[in-house]
Amino acid sequence: MMLEFSGRRVLIVGGTCELAIRLAESAIRQNLFPILTYRNNDGNNRIRKQLPGTGTQFDTVRLDFSDPASVEAFCEYVKNDVDYWVDFAHGNFEALIAAADPGAVRQYFIENISMRAQILGSAARGMLTRKQGRMVYISSTAAFRPNPGQGFYAAAKLASEALYKNLGLEMAGRGITTVILRPGYIDAGRGKTYLDAHPQTVRNTMPIGRPLTSREVAETILFYLSDHARSFNAVEITLDGGLSAGK
Amino acid sequence: MQENKKYVSVFDGVRNALMDILDIDADQITPETYVIRELGAESIDLLELAVTLNAVFNVPIQHDDILLLRLRSFLREAEEEGLDSAAYIAAKLPFLPLERIREILLDLDSGPAIKVSDLISYIQWRHRITA
Repeated sequence: MMLEFSGRRVLIVGGTCELAIRLAESAIRQNLFPILTYRNNDGNNRIRKQLPGTGTQFDTVRLDFSDPASVEAFCEYVKNDVDYWVDFAHGNFEALIAAADPGAVRQYFIENISMRAQILGSAARGMLTRKQGRMVYISSTAAFRPNPGQGFYAAAKLASEALYKNLGLEMAGRGITTVILRPGYIDAGRGKTYLDAHPQTVRNTMPIGRPLTSREVAETILFYLSDHARSFNAVEITLDGGLSAGK
Repeated sequence: MQENKKYVSVFDGVRNALMDILDIDADQITPETYVIRELGAESIDLLELAVTLNAVFNVPIQHDDILLLRLRSFLREAEEEGLDSAAYIAAKLPFLPLERIREILLDLDSGPAIKVSDLISYIQWRHRITA
């Protein structure tokens, strides 16, 4: 299916993860222009090695949530010409609630909630000047079904979901809409590490009998960015092969 | 959205922004018009207004300042510190002329104070300090 897009430039936050690269590949095939964020030179090089056509088919921009100057510069950057926005960025922080270091918790929430709110506000203001924008936040089924040790991760995901959901409520009248996707087990990134360690458990619990592939998640994201999906706004959509529907 | 147009006056640019955002006619807008009380601007309209004025006049816009959103908290602070309210507001919102601040202080019970002239004052002040 050839999807229709009324814009072209796709900002991909958290651009070095495997899903982001797959999404960028799919976006390029749809004649979109992805711009992927990286935290450091290694990440930038990794993106550029995996995608063809630097400067003509895609670009990169630095964003490091732990570096306020980088966040400020990025906020200026996103005020201009961003039609679509996909947010994969999320730090990992596994700890029991009662055991976590308070300073680490504070920093984790600053980086994963406060900084996100800052860049999101700037991007939305930029989209407001053109009265057009579409945002997809990549959350996780762990946001509402966390395992022990995932409390802080889930809290940050739920808080971020709330930011995107409200943005969709507030700005839809101005042409800016949002969707939150909650993927389950994916055969990529952190999910792959877990799948490698617990292969049978996942296959037994996933009603479709397999984890999601990064390619199918990327294609789903692209659909939700497209003009065809504009009526989905300020909503969470679970993408887990039926996992969370059962016990 | 009118970006990078040259306006005869700051008032023209502000009026055009308000007409575009609120879908109203030019004759409804004068410098003395209250933006919220009379034109019915809502919070999303005010956000769009700040973004538009930034694009049109190419000056940084502090959303809370231009829209006088912290006026009442400044007044509380002045009262708590035992300071002169008008002088305190003048220090916090230096784009407002003193006579306009006095007018605002006499009119607080009537609702949100912001007028078109306050937007103009802010843009002109920004132009002066960035010139």
